[in-house]
Amino acid sequence: MHSYVRPNQFVAFKLPSDATRIQKVVPNTYISLGKYGTFPANQIIGRPFYLTFEIHETPEEADSTYLRVVSAAELHAESLITEGEGDGDDVELNEDGTPVRSNRETIDDRSTQKLTLEEILALKKESTGAGKDIIAKLLESHQALDQKTAFSLAKYKLRKERKYMKRFTVMPLDVSLLANYMLEDKDAARTMELRDELIGLIGCWGNVHHGGSTSFDDTVTKKPNGRYLVVDDTGGLVIAALAERMGILYPHDGDHDDEQQDAIERPTVAEGDEAEKPQDGEGQSSDTPRRPRRPHMSASGNTITLLHANKQPNLSLLKYFGYDQDSPSESHPLYTNLKTVSFMQILDPNADNIYAEEPPTVPEEELATYKPSKRSSYHRKRGRWMRVRRVVDDARAGGFDGLIIASLMDPCSIMKHAVPLVAGSGPVVIYSPTVEPLTEVMDLYSTARKNAYIARKRELQEQKEQQPEDQNEEGGKMYPELEEEFTLDPTMLLGPTLQTSRVRAWQVLPGRTHPLMSGRGGAEGYIFHGTRVLPTQEIIEAAGNPGRKRRKIAKPTETETQTGSGDGVDIEMTS
Amino acid sequence: MPSPFLTPGSHSSLDQLALLHLRRDHAIPTVLRLHDDEDAGYKEGKVETTRFGSFPHTTLTGQPWGSQIGASKVDTGSRRGRGPQKKNQKLKRKVDDIDSATPGESPKAAVAASSGFLHLVYPTPELWTTSLPHRTQVVYTPDYSYILHRLRVRPGCTVIEAGAGSGSFTHAAVRAAFNGYPTDDSPATKKRRLGKVCSFEYHEQRAGKVRQEIHEHGLDGLVEVTHRDVYKDGFLLNDPKTGNSPKANAIFLDLPAPWLALKHLVRHPSDGGESPLDPTSPVYLCTFSPCLEQVQRTISTLRQLSWLSISMVEVNHHRIEVKREKTGLEYERVRGAVVFPKDVDEAVTKMRHVEEHSRKYRQMMHQLDDEESTPMPASTTKPETEKDEVPEADASTPQTSNIPSYKQGRLVHRSEQDLKTHTSYLVFAVLPREWTEEDEQKCRAKWPPHQVDLTQPEKPKGRKQLKRERKERLEEEQKKQQEEPTPAQELADAAEQA
Repeated sequence: MHSYVRPNQFVAFKLPSDATRIQKVVPNTYISLGKYGTFPANQIIGRPFYLTFEIHETPEEADSTYLRVVSAAELHAESLITEGEGDGDDVELNEDGTPVRSNRETIDDRSTQKLTLEEILALKKESTGAGKDIIAKLLESHQALDQKTAFSLAKYKLRKERKYMKRFTVMPLDVSLLANYMLEDKDAARTMELRDELIGLIGCWGNVHHGGSTSFDDTVTKKPNGRYLVVDDTGGLVIAALAERMGILYPHDGDHDDEQQDAIERPTVAEGDEAEKPQDGEGQSSDTPRRPRRPHMSASGNTITLLHANKQPNLSLLKYFGYDQDSPSESHPLYTNLKTVSFMQILDPNADNIYAEEPPTVPEEELATYKPSKRSSYHRKRGRWMRVRRVVDDARAGGFDGLIIASLMDPCSIMKHAVPLVAGSGPVVIYSPTVEPLTEVMDLYSTARKNAYIARKRELQEQKEQQPEDQNEEGGKMYPELEEEFTLDPTMLLGPTLQTSRVRAWQVLPGRTHPLMSGRGGAEGYIFHGTRVLPTQEIIEAAGNPGRKRRKIAKPTETETQTGSGDGVDIEMTS
Repeated sequence: MPSPFLTPGSHSSLDQLALLHLRRDHAIPTVLRLHDDEDAGYKEGKVETTRFGSFPHTTLTGQPWGSQIGASKVDTGSRRGRGPQKKNQKLKRKVDDIDSATPGESPKAAVAASSGFLHLVYPTPELWTTSLPHRTQVVYTPDYSYILHRLRVRPGCTVIEAGAGSGSFTHAAVRAAFNGYPTDDSPATKKRRLGKVCSFEYHEQRAGKVRQEIHEHGLDGLVEVTHRDVYKDGFLLNDPKTGNSPKANAIFLDLPAPWLALKHLVRHPSDGGESPLDPTSPVYLCTFSPCLEQVQRTISTLRQLSWLSISMVEVNHHRIEVKREKTGLEYERVRGAVVFPKDVDEAVTKMRHVEEHSRKYRQMMHQLDDEESTPMPASTTKPETEKDEVPEADASTPQTSNIPSYKQGRLVHRSEQDLKTHTSYLVFAVLPREWTEEDEQKCRAKWPPHQVDLTQPEKPKGRKQLKRERKERLEEEQKKQQEEPTPAQELADAAEQA
């Protein structure tokens, strides 16, 4: 849990301008917040999050910078005072009923501020009081201050505070904050304009959660819990969101934060594959009693399997959580619990060179004669091959607890291959910034299409029974005609639903409560959701709506879905 | 027993909650049992009767989750055990069953019915939310998903929930906090906290109901339900005065007057008791109130109690329906289609046709007038017009029938009919860890406030580089030991390494 700032961790600084700045807190360095000032990192390491600091310094004096914690009472001072004065919403009135102050007399030009730019700059240079003295001066020298209404005065003060206050708040960098940061301060297109509220929805509809501790739970012996299949083209934001929900995102998650100490190694994350543990630790483990290394991507439960389009997945945003894609730290939980598989490896594993070409095994005696460098390269190659084999075979075997897609590619093409890998009752969730790709998905699972599929399948079944040629049936690809017409099996998903959600932020101040005036436009963001089911191979008629069966051929089966009753006629047209 | 909500396994099993999915937003929750507690008297044991047929639990148990299950023929008319005089007998039989441990009479094998089916799925908080028995207003998925995300409820967290209500939030929260079942042999260690939900409910009957559900759903030990007036008695577990602190990281208040409960949610309660908050972490809070006045009072109290990052939002959620909209003259006799020209060309063609037709008609009438013969009976003209129309209709049908009906028309989307335009206002706030002068001094000693290396921070070293460096260092040390270096040299080396 985020209880204090750890050294070498990325944290977020909320600035008076409401902008967010993300920086790594390296001990014994300076942290610069641009015009809001610079301070030594050591002054925030070990301190709790969510505190607001003020930068104080005496000009031209070395090591004079110090940070002062701004108390909550001080931060809320203005609203607390207004509340104390009364309800705040009674406007003072003259005898004739007009407000004492109104904006009738306001002069709309800049001449009212008597301080010149040069004077303000000079003030800034000499300033010691974290910007408060500048604001006081500015207010003092504002000629028309007494003409301002209470509201506009508050607004004026706030505007100046945003500009001159040397304040910042230290926030823990988590998925919620990163999503907002990418959306508002960075390039939103990199994360497919994924909004915070939709991340919550994806996680819930995807039923993403911790798979349970595996040491004593007997269900695990049957089937590992919490395996999720993910397609993520948001640079790792979706992966991070899921990992956060599964408790495998933060290296220090679950550590008890009583004592402040540097990177303690994480005690237990997941049990590795026993058989493979020794293979790459052998050579050099003589010096220290190190615990056996957990092989890369070796966890069996509580894992994320990432399907990616290119040779390497793009997980650049995970660096903010201490996981460097190129040289991942072994102590990070994602090291064992994040597995990556390319689409090509899923569809045609033998086209992948690493998968297909097994490095020759060398007997122990011969290995002993190798030079250390050659031996370690042998172990590395062998280890890599075994890892790829294990991960790819594991993914191809399917049985995932959920499928989450946020991809630039056509969702239908992904679903064709990925939905069959989901276990029965597992959720399928797709995020798209725009609605059009998802309406197409909805259409692929429409009731009319489902009914046509079932009717056609039965037709083909009957044809086949009439001409009993012994064709070798390849599992699902029994009917190539069916696949050609429908591309994917619409009976595999239950209850397809399309939704969108958006939060609206409000300002709540005494007498001044209203929704915020402006917000970010851009993509709305939509979520498709369905449940993977196992349609029976037998023929079952749907119950209900018996009156509508005016069919020529043997009655096609009908699936009961939310729109159930209205579809009998549509079938008739095709048959 | 593992909970089907958290670790459902691959197959349904006895005494577990399962959901019988009939259609979207309509699923029946049921605990799978061979014998009926209420004993409705079916020969097949416990039977679920739905609008799509009857489903004996024997056909639902031991099936892979997600299976499509066919209905069975169940005699609902002549059940044993209906009627008062048979009741005693039934009870006796039940007692016998328990005594003999093996059921005295195993349920009759079910016979498949000719039609009807459902899908058997494992429960999730989302499905439970739509199918749970309503006792109070329910917190729905769009709201609770956002709340839990903003409250940073993660595996290992402890959540306080006040106003358990119907239990929808409870189930979602326990899923978010879950990271293992508590057992006797491996209690939560200092290193690893097990996530849990502490649920408080004012209404005694509802509290009992939630407790019963929690038990049925295998969530005992993960959810602790307390019957309590939290305004008055606060949030300590067991005894309100001397009980244990739940050490909560996140708090959700679905109460009519959350500001009255806030006084108990502080680091140092005024009555000198223990704080229900986790002293080592920031505490996140959310209140759920439908009215703006409640929000204003809550926020005002939060400010007085030094909560930070106070914000208020409302969640606007809607579901979208997608369908094919069919407009065109060829869709005559198609349900749900609009028979109207699909474009200008079609409109003009049709108009032309109509004009042509009336021109012919007028011509004919003229001819008739000219000849001044007896007017022909109207019936003779009618067939002619129909003849004209028939080829037209034939011409248009081949066009559409090439495309299967599920692909016809244009794909459109719109919001679903019933919108929830307002659920509640959500107020969020954070209470940071307490930070004393003493803590600050300790921290200063550890991290000298003005120590700054002016050298550029190095790029993080790779694993290989670290290994090489370690080796070099070892070698160097060995060398030094041989040479017996002066302390000054050693210091210099150490400084270099630092």
